[in-house]
Amino acid sequence: MAGAPAEALRRVPLFADLDDDQLAQVALLFKERDFTAGETVVKEGVDGAAFFLIESGEAKVTVRGAERASLGPGDHFGEIALIDEGVRSATIAAMTDLVCYGLTLWEFRPLVIANGEIGWKLVQSVAKKLRNAELS
Amino acid sequence: MTELRPLAEVSDTSVFGSKAVGLGHALRDGLPVPPGFALAGPLVEAVAAGDEAAVERVASAVRPLGGPLAVRSSAVDEDGADASFAGQHLTLLNVPSADELGKALREIWWSANSDSAISYRKRVGLFTRPSVAVVVQVLLDPECAGVMFTRNPINGADERMIEASWGLGEAVVAGLVIPDSYCVARDGQVRERRAGLKRIAIRGLPGGGTVEDEVAPELVERLCLAGSRLDALNELARRCEEAYGPDRDIEWAVADDTLYLLQCRPMTKMGGA
Repeated sequence: MAGAPAEALRRVPLFADLDDDQLAQVALLFKERDFTAGETVVKEGVDGAAFFLIESGEAKVTVRGAERASLGPGDHFGEIALIDEGVRSATIAAMTDLVCYGLTLWEFRPLVIANGEIGWKLVQSVAKKLRNAELS
Repeated sequence: MTELRPLAEVSDTSVFGSKAVGLGHALRDGLPVPPGFALAGPLVEAVAAGDEAAVERVASAVRPLGGPLAVRSSAVDEDGADASFAGQHLTLLNVPSADELGKALREIWWSANSDSAISYRKRVGLFTRPSVAVVVQVLLDPECAGVMFTRNPINGADERMIEASWGLGEAVVAGLVIPDSYCVARDGQVRERRAGLKRIAIRGLPGGGTVEDEVAPELVERLCLAGSRLDALNELARRCEEAYGPDRDIEWAVADDTLYLLQCRPMTKMGGA
């Protein structure tokens, strides 16, 4: 069975507090998704359905047309969409052929609902993010 | 192997989706459908997840078809009464062989789980996990192809409205050409034939995928369909109506001098009577 590499997921703040077994469960839910150079990966203002972790390749982040950042292997985006089903806050385009691991809300939600401990750790992680945002 | 069946054996829309079941129905009624298989959503998802046993199971079942292959989604709520999913779910033409199906099925699974597909689901009130069944068929190399309504979709008149162009029918469906258009009465009388402007033909590439080929200048405005083909299409319309009921939206192709049915679904728009 495939899935995403757990060690790369460990660096994602949302999943950082999960123990090895919990992380392995989450990792198994990921599926590879390939994009070709020039392809739009996610589009600003469109409802988000998945979280992505980049395995290889480079991508560019733009907000209202202005370039904001470059992304490469190990970088990730879209984790909040797994929880709030909200719209994408930026456009991300593949600069080279891009291999990602993606997790959709359809797989993520049942896991969290079924596993209260994972859910609690995710709530703590989101709260931490909120507190940091308030302090900055 | 209940999750993978030859098309002719497929009858459950809640497992295989309406596209697969429609083609299964057509095959059982003796309609000329290219051979193929239907894969249920859970099997497609297992392949998309990289489950090697699932990948091998699909490849070994489909391998006898040879190649190239056409791989189309048949999501279980696709083509519903209120939502067409047109353009949301991917079709992959010219997948070279069964051994390349893993990647193709993953792409199709993601197309139904993409941001745009999920946005569409929210908009039409279907915000539920998609079950992405798939149809895998032999890909034809058609001389010409197109669409046909068994009743006039604009004014409801009892006549066949046919559009045709060179190569694969996707040139017509995607609006890449001005197709030839034909109006044929139920008794076979041709009421109108108008040549289009068909500068592009979509054709399969040897290594997989498709290309937009330039059409030879002398064919751009030449009609694709002669009288005998229009008779055959009229007969296909009659047989489809007999099998499925009235008012059908048909995709067809002519390859190796044979008329094939590629898809038959209910018409979604009706202007007049």
